[in-house]
Amino acid sequence: MAAIHSISHFPSAHAPTASPADVNLPAPNIAIEINKLELAFGERKVIDGVSLDIPEGQFLSIVGPSGCGKTTILNLLAGLIDAPHLGTLRLGGAAPRLGDARIAYMLARDSLLPWRTALQNASYGMQIRGVPPKTREARARDLLRRVGLAGFEDIYPKHLSHGMRQRCALARTFALDAPFLLMDEPFGALDAQTKLQLEELLVDLWQQERRTVVFITHDLAEAIAISDRVVVMSARPGRIVADLKIDLPRPRSVRDLQKQPHFHELYARIWQTLEQGWRHSDDQ
Amino acid sequence: MTNESNRADGASLLIRIIQHGTLLAVLLGLWEYAARSGWVDATFVGQPSGIAQFLWSNVVVSPKLWIELGWTLLGTLASFVLGSVAALLTGLLFVTMPRLERFVDPYLSAINAMPRIALAPLFILWFGLGVSSKIAIGFSLVFFIVLSSTVAGMRGLNQDHLTLTRTLGAKPSQMFLFVTLPGAVPVIFSGLRLGLIYAMLGVVGGEIIAAEHGLGQTLAYLGSTFNMNGVMGVLLILSLLGMGVIWSMTAIEKRLLHWQ
Repeated sequence: MAAIHSISHFPSAHAPTASPADVNLPAPNIAIEINKLELAFGERKVIDGVSLDIPEGQFLSIVGPSGCGKTTILNLLAGLIDAPHLGTLRLGGAAPRLGDARIAYMLARDSLLPWRTALQNASYGMQIRGVPPKTREARARDLLRRVGLAGFEDIYPKHLSHGMRQRCALARTFALDAPFLLMDEPFGALDAQTKLQLEELLVDLWQQERRTVVFITHDLAEAIAISDRVVVMSARPGRIVADLKIDLPRPRSVRDLQKQPHFHELYARIWQTLEQGWRHSDDQ
Repeated sequence: MTNESNRADGASLLIRIIQHGTLLAVLLGLWEYAARSGWVDATFVGQPSGIAQFLWSNVVVSPKLWIELGWTLLGTLASFVLGSVAALLTGLLFVTMPRLERFVDPYLSAINAMPRIALAPLFILWFGLGVSSKIAIGFSLVFFIVLSSTVAGMRGLNQDHLTLTRTLGAKPSQMFLFVTLPGAVPVIFSGLRLGLIYAMLGVVGGEIIAAEHGLGQTLAYLGSTFNMNGVMGVLLILSLLGMGVIWSMTAIEKRLLHWQ
């Protein structure tokens, strides 16, 4: 693993700052723990020794080229794939389990059920997880309002634009009372303008209700703009080539960041570091 | 604006009624004239006035055709409901147990490949001349049509819906109720629509072969006694019945699938 710039933890209200050397100590504030993960599909090695400790309440993005195994890591955390692997994964101290009520999972496509209205879609997750009807309706209405879909409660997905559909999916995800958010390129299919709006919305929602987020993307600028920490993976077999702390102030606005030279400088600097890192890993 | 377009719609509807009315009047008039003047033999093709007279005496004066229609409808609906329910349950079983489906597939294909109406003599022997044998024939047609659409509908579900619902920790019953069933309904519905038409085909076919009641039996009797006006009248009723069946299925579908 060629970590060119290692940052592991952040100062937070609950936790002392930890240095990379401490990561093996059982720290109570580690929400998600990935330890020496190795995975192969047949002869092909997909993930090659990934270790990652994610503190509670951290917004972490994993960036990497397609096929680097980033989505595989997310799906292992969600319990969606049960492939034999080496190393361990822990969420809140427990092994991943499909359907874990502590996890809210968001897919690349909105996956709204077309036979349900926006309101019914926003409350779908809560309904499956047994939230009483009155509570879930109130919560879904509140979330729809916060994602800017007030007035669209009774509209079927067919009549919503791509951006609106993904807003509705965000409402469904945030309506769940889950401390872990696992997001698989949720804005990958949107046009640039809509994508920016949705990133802004996500950051907004997250700043109101902090949860531990693992956000998969192949867009470095997106990762920098929304995250506390960006982990960069190499092409297959996936390894962590950089683990970067993003010290842009919070609360932040993704749209305002676009206008700030500081953001673009940071992006350029990280990009340069990455290029050096890749060159470095090519040499190996 | 809306008023104007409504008026325009009303006017075009009136024009269409006049057009179709004129066409039908001309065709029927020609038919009547041809039969009366001896261009065509009314013994073989009937004549409109005779058909009207037949319908008047058997639909309005005496309820004879209504009763026969009732028997045909009973057979059609019973075979449709029984066949569809059996097919839905079997389809569900197949989707949950693909190995079972693979095992019985050759047998089902063999039965499905058989022209089902050929089973009619057998069913009449087993279930008698009454409506039960007609229900059996209708069932044998409906079952396979609805079964294949049920399996196709449940196999063709959106994978994202399944993934999302699994991450939410849905119980199998929730998965079925919230994703599998509503997701498969559009495809199942096209099978149901076809199934209903085939149920009618099977029942009327069975009635023609051997029965005590039903429009098919009436048709066979009238045909064998060379009552062409009666045959034409019953055919008219059958086609109206078929149109009614399709129309009601469309209405149900529109209601059920309003989200599409």
